[in-house]
Amino acid sequence: MMTDFTIIKRSLRLRLFSTLITALTVAVAVCLMLVLLSLRDASRSAFNRGSGNIQLLLSADSSPMVSVLNAIFYANPPARAVKWPACQELLAKYPVDFAIPIQQGDSYRSFPILATTTQFFSAFQPNGDEKWKLADGEFFKAEFQIVAGASVAKVLGLKTGDSFFITHGISGINDTNEEERASGGDFPTMKAALAQMHRYSKYKIVGVLQPTGTSHDRALFTDLNSAWIVHAHEKRKLKDPTVTQTTAADLAASDQLITGVYVRFKTAPGSSESPALYTAYDDLKRHHPELTVALPGNEIDKLFTIVSNIDEVFVAMAAVVMLSSGIAILLALYNSMEQRRRQVAVLRVLGCSQVRIFGLVITEAALIGVFGALGGLVLSVMVNQIAARILDAKLGLALQPALLGTPTVLILFAAVVLASFAGIIPAVLAYRTTITRSLRPLG
Amino acid sequence: MDRSNPLTLNGLRFRYETAESKASGWTVDVANLSLGASEQLLLTGSSGGGKSTLLYLIAGLLDPVEGRVLVGGTDLHSMRGGARDLYRGRNIGMIFQTFNLLHGFSAVENVMAALMFSSLPGREHRGYAVDLLAKLGLSNPDADPDTLSVGQQQRVAVARAVACEPILVLADEPTASLDPELAVTAMDLIQDTCRQRGAALLCTSHDPAMAQRFDRRIALSELGARGASTPNSAPSRSEVAR
Repeated sequence: MMTDFTIIKRSLRLRLFSTLITALTVAVAVCLMLVLLSLRDASRSAFNRGSGNIQLLLSADSSPMVSVLNAIFYANPPARAVKWPACQELLAKYPVDFAIPIQQGDSYRSFPILATTTQFFSAFQPNGDEKWKLADGEFFKAEFQIVAGASVAKVLGLKTGDSFFITHGISGINDTNEEERASGGDFPTMKAALAQMHRYSKYKIVGVLQPTGTSHDRALFTDLNSAWIVHAHEKRKLKDPTVTQTTAADLAASDQLITGVYVRFKTAPGSSESPALYTAYDDLKRHHPELTVALPGNEIDKLFTIVSNIDEVFVAMAAVVMLSSGIAILLALYNSMEQRRRQVAVLRVLGCSQVRIFGLVITEAALIGVFGALGGLVLSVMVNQIAARILDAKLGLALQPALLGTPTVLILFAAVVLASFAGIIPAVLAYRTTITRSLRPLG
Repeated sequence: MDRSNPLTLNGLRFRYETAESKASGWTVDVANLSLGASEQLLLTGSSGGGKSTLLYLIAGLLDPVEGRVLVGGTDLHSMRGGARDLYRGRNIGMIFQTFNLLHGFSAVENVMAALMFSSLPGREHRGYAVDLLAKLGLSNPDADPDTLSVGQQQRVAVARAVACEPILVLADEPTASLDPELAVTAMDLIQDTCRQRGAALLCTSHDPAMAQRFDRRIALSELGARGASTPNSAPSRSEVAR
């Protein structure tokens, strides 16, 4: 049985190339819009995930924002350090639930190493209420043991039992390509010059973490004492080249440097609020100007306020692309109307009303919109995955973009409505087709 | 609907709304014309004389300035919009000089396109269309019309015109683009099919060779206000009996 849908299907098939290209423009526009919105939401939740249950961050960074980006998202190795004993003394007067010292600045094959205490794994929860879980091995318990984040282990193929030297600073230098460099291999000179390998002791992987979906997945974690020892050993060796061994007992207070402290305050019984938080925050800011005191949640909000303007520009651009795709549908259908005048006239002769002809063209335009919207949805899933991988690899931002929800439905609906609107002018042309002129013999 | 009275024209006048048309008088000026059930009439006239325009007026595709067109006793122009289109689809079949088959649709789909507007249940459309094409000598209903010969295309066009069992078939110069031999075959097909299905046929042509095929022949120029032609009235000056 022939139906209106059969006629529309044939019409689309007859102009297959034009149909595909037009639907593709809609798909690209829908994809762009969906990806922008989903990445925006995903990046916000990724940032929120990374700070976990930390309420306050202490560091010597230049600003609270930099402090959060460095200490939680591993943006750069912090430039300045503070003494851990002094910080401990400072925090002792507050009802602290945990105060976890961290030291950054070393790396292994470009991946940051965070030196900390075992409390990092027992008290700090990077993602909501989820505790750290091991995919293999155990958490570090002794010096020169290291635990690899899920992404690092995956990318570098690290496994429990592997051992290596770590590097001072962030560079691609490691004990493998060091050998390559020595043998004349192609390696960036500047990076090589900047890098300094800690050759005092190799580190051994004792555990590999399960993914947390946070920035911490692309870091390695080691014992804080080890970090102090390797740095102290190098200082001691500068003064006395005969020194061969350094232990925790050799560490002076000036060696016990950290780049930040993750702090959480005790909560009132039956409440998730920490009454001491804002008192401590104000107190520390007022009386310790040498420290940078950051509220991670506030800094992430500030960051998103800054980027939201750029965000809106991108969304506006995507809207313009979508509008352009509507114009593409209009042009494609408009150009096809000349060829279709005869078909329209024949259908009218056979009994098809003008209103039905109008509906056929509008439905055809809407179908292009539907194909484009669905194509855009599929495309956006793929682009989201690729973008998430790139952002994870380049920025360490573990995104989990999702396309569910009202905005997605609204964008798909908008694409179909826009396409239908684009069909109005061609549909009016079809409606007004002069049958007598259109049925004249050709030539 | 009155099947015994397929077509009646009364005082039908039409001209296109152009300065040239207005200056040269009526494009179509028919005082009276009637066609009886299954009757076949040849309307002759020079090219550009208004024959096609008259057919479009009868089909309700153009609105007359004056007069009435009754198809099956129903005043077509008193109907508006979709009602008129549906009435045309179900009661009038049209055959064109260049067939005007739907591009991109198979032969049987061209026939089924006409059935979309019929009262026949949808599930019966294909079988009915295939049978009809077979009766008209087309054995490959799923063929693309572009791959068919001119004669076969003509069969599809005729099948499409009679698919809805119309009371009136309008054929506009159906043989003008055919060679003489094929023209004979085509006219045999059209006339025989209309007879078999009980449809009246109004055929236009400027080909003198067509005259002998029709019992009734009228020159369009003789149908004006001075002349009148009905099956039961005396023939007008130019109306020649067989």
